[in-house]
Amino acid sequence: MKREHLLILFIVAALVAWPLVMGNYAVSQANRAMIYALAALSFSLLAGRLGWFSLCQTTFAGISGYTIAILGVRFGLPFPVVVLLALLFTTLSAFIFGLLTVRSRKVSFLMLTLALGQMVWALSFQWVDVTGGYNGIAGGRMPVYGGVDLNDTRVFYVLVTTVTVAIFLAVWRLYGSPFGLLLLGIQENEQRMRALGHPVYLARFTAFVLAGAIAGVAGVFLVYDMGIMSPSPLGLGHAVWVLTAAVLGGYRSLLGPAIGVAVLIALETLVSQYTDRHMMVIGLVLLLSILLMPRGLAEMFEQHFKRKSKPQASVTTTTRGEEP
Amino acid sequence: MKHAKTLIIGGISALTVGATAHIQADDTLRIGVIGPTTGVFSFFGEQQRMGVELAQEELAERLEALNIEVEFYDSQGDAETTVDRLRAMESRDDVDLVVGPVLGGTGLAGLEWAKGSGMPTVISYSAPEDITMRDRAENVVRAGWTGAQPMFAFGEYVAEELGHQRIIAVGQDYSFPYNQLGGFLKGFCAAGGESVERIWHPTGTSDYSSILATLPDGDAVLYNGAGSDGLAFFQQYHDFGIDARMPLLGGSNFFAVGDLPEMGEQAIGGLSALQYAEGLESDTFLAFRDAFWDMHGDDVMPLAPAEHGYVAFKMAVNAFESANGGDRDAVIAALRETEMPDAPRGPFHLDEYGNPVQNIYINEVQEVDGRLVNVPIKTYENVSQFGPFDAETYLAGEPDSRDFPPGDCSDPYYD
Repeated sequence: MKREHLLILFIVAALVAWPLVMGNYAVSQANRAMIYALAALSFSLLAGRLGWFSLCQTTFAGISGYTIAILGVRFGLPFPVVVLLALLFTTLSAFIFGLLTVRSRKVSFLMLTLALGQMVWALSFQWVDVTGGYNGIAGGRMPVYGGVDLNDTRVFYVLVTTVTVAIFLAVWRLYGSPFGLLLLGIQENEQRMRALGHPVYLARFTAFVLAGAIAGVAGVFLVYDMGIMSPSPLGLGHAVWVLTAAVLGGYRSLLGPAIGVAVLIALETLVSQYTDRHMMVIGLVLLLSILLMPRGLAEMFEQHFKRKSKPQASVTTTTRGEEP
Repeated sequence: MKHAKTLIIGGISALTVGATAHIQADDTLRIGVIGPTTGVFSFFGEQQRMGVELAQEELAERLEALNIEVEFYDSQGDAETTVDRLRAMESRDDVDLVVGPVLGGTGLAGLEWAKGSGMPTVISYSAPEDITMRDRAENVVRAGWTGAQPMFAFGEYVAEELGHQRIIAVGQDYSFPYNQLGGFLKGFCAAGGESVERIWHPTGTSDYSSILATLPDGDAVLYNGAGSDGLAFFQQYHDFGIDARMPLLGGSNFFAVGDLPEMGEQAIGGLSALQYAEGLESDTFLAFRDAFWDMHGDDVMPLAPAEHGYVAFKMAVNAFESANGGDRDAVIAALRETEMPDAPRGPFHLDEYGNPVQNIYINEVQEVDGRLVNVPIKTYENVSQFGPFDAETYLAGEPDSRDFPPGDCSDPYYD
């Protein structure tokens, strides 16, 4: 138990120190990283707990972003209402997508989410009257409350950090809860869980809707961070990017997706400063890390920790490092 | 194995520290040039880059006197990446002026960012009309065009000079072609055209047989699109033999952007309209073209994105010069006063909204010295982004969309 608390303390300290030490650009990069960490967390919740690889988590972020852009910019609704409606609408979409996918197995789930994601992407691209098409909808801005401009990079940072940390803590609790264990159990042996009387479909459905809602939060921040909502975040490229980050960081662990996103963004920013061929360098790094660390960066860190303490009790549990 | 891991992690953290400690001394003026130099649209970004490099070479002495540095950024053709790079320019690299972006969506994202930041920005090739119309910002001007701008003249030309009454418009289903067709319709109907029937297809379509087999009858077909879609449409149009029945007209990018060699001789005689033509014969243009060839080799033809990048960069340097330094307000004021009497494409000045008022050329594909080039056969001078309309009436109207303005010229809208 101690070690986890230390780790949390360390992370929170680093997050507090970051805007105090770093320049504006590094802070805005951290904002982006946290937004995508939420998207990757939403992906890992399904991939790590249920073995469900989803290609539509960025779609939920996109749905949420478009709801905000349409209601906020086009209809001029006030900020808190817009955010609430966006989260509500995203959860509702996850509800509908969940009904369609809950009975599917690994590959068919992947294909279903791919199809759903591409449908929404095409809709965002072609339903020009509503979404603005390729040009998107510009002008999504947060309000100024009592002289504090929420759009200011550092204020925005405080907002994003608070929400992101809260969500990660909540998911941490979820992973340790009976419900989290049930999800793992379903991944290990669905038949046995059913035989034990657990509502397998309901559990999977709940996890899917939860993941959708987390992606929805990412979408809220995404649109306010960019100031414009266009179809590009809904494209396959972004979905694959999130998947890559989660796999690189280790989608089975809680912090893996966040680590993966941070490393990828840092790499992109740094390497693109020196060469236009940055995608090749990043590809090479990915190749090496996945060859050397097939279970992701996070688990490698955790193994380092564990090796010095006690031997691993279970081989099948995939939450090493998260549980006491 | 263990060492490899340590190395990777160590390397990454070292790079992170290195990049965040990237602080520059501040007595230089910096121009950040942004465009897609990787990805599907890298052609446009590369052209812009080559144009800017040429301008850099020509202005080398003035750049040194003013202490101007230039840095290139890759937008990857993506709105989010564009915003990220623009942020890097402002808060990491201390850039004083931005040239670019190149593509439509990235241009709007850049505009949105520029509004918040106040950065003097010269948009180069990016053509959404709202950048200099409904969403215009004081600190953002444009060196290029709006989608509709060359098409007002083209519509007028097609109705008046070619005498076509009914046009079938096929195009890629997104906002740039809508805007192009909107401009076309407004010019076409005002000059006595009858109707335009629209057929939109999703971008990335490679098989047009269903469209071509059921193509309605008209006097001509206008294709609004470019790239691999345009190429496939062009080839299948000829395979179906429809060229014998109806001539094929092009939207601004159809014959202009690098596809001519692949279209081959069948493209000869193809008509389109743009504020640029690589077959211009003016002295300023020839000097520009020859210098471009000297620098980048004569197998690359300088096209509109290259010229727009070249001109945008010159506008930036002129503005720094007349502002006598990097003071934002002075630079912005100087930019808005821009007059370019000797731009390669022909003279232009900015209107009060920040968009060029310039020549529009009706271009015909011809073979010149063994190359296929767009040769201007008619010039409309001093065309603004509002075409023949006055700005206030135009702005009061609805923006162009999938099915606006109406395709029937007898519609009350055109009265």
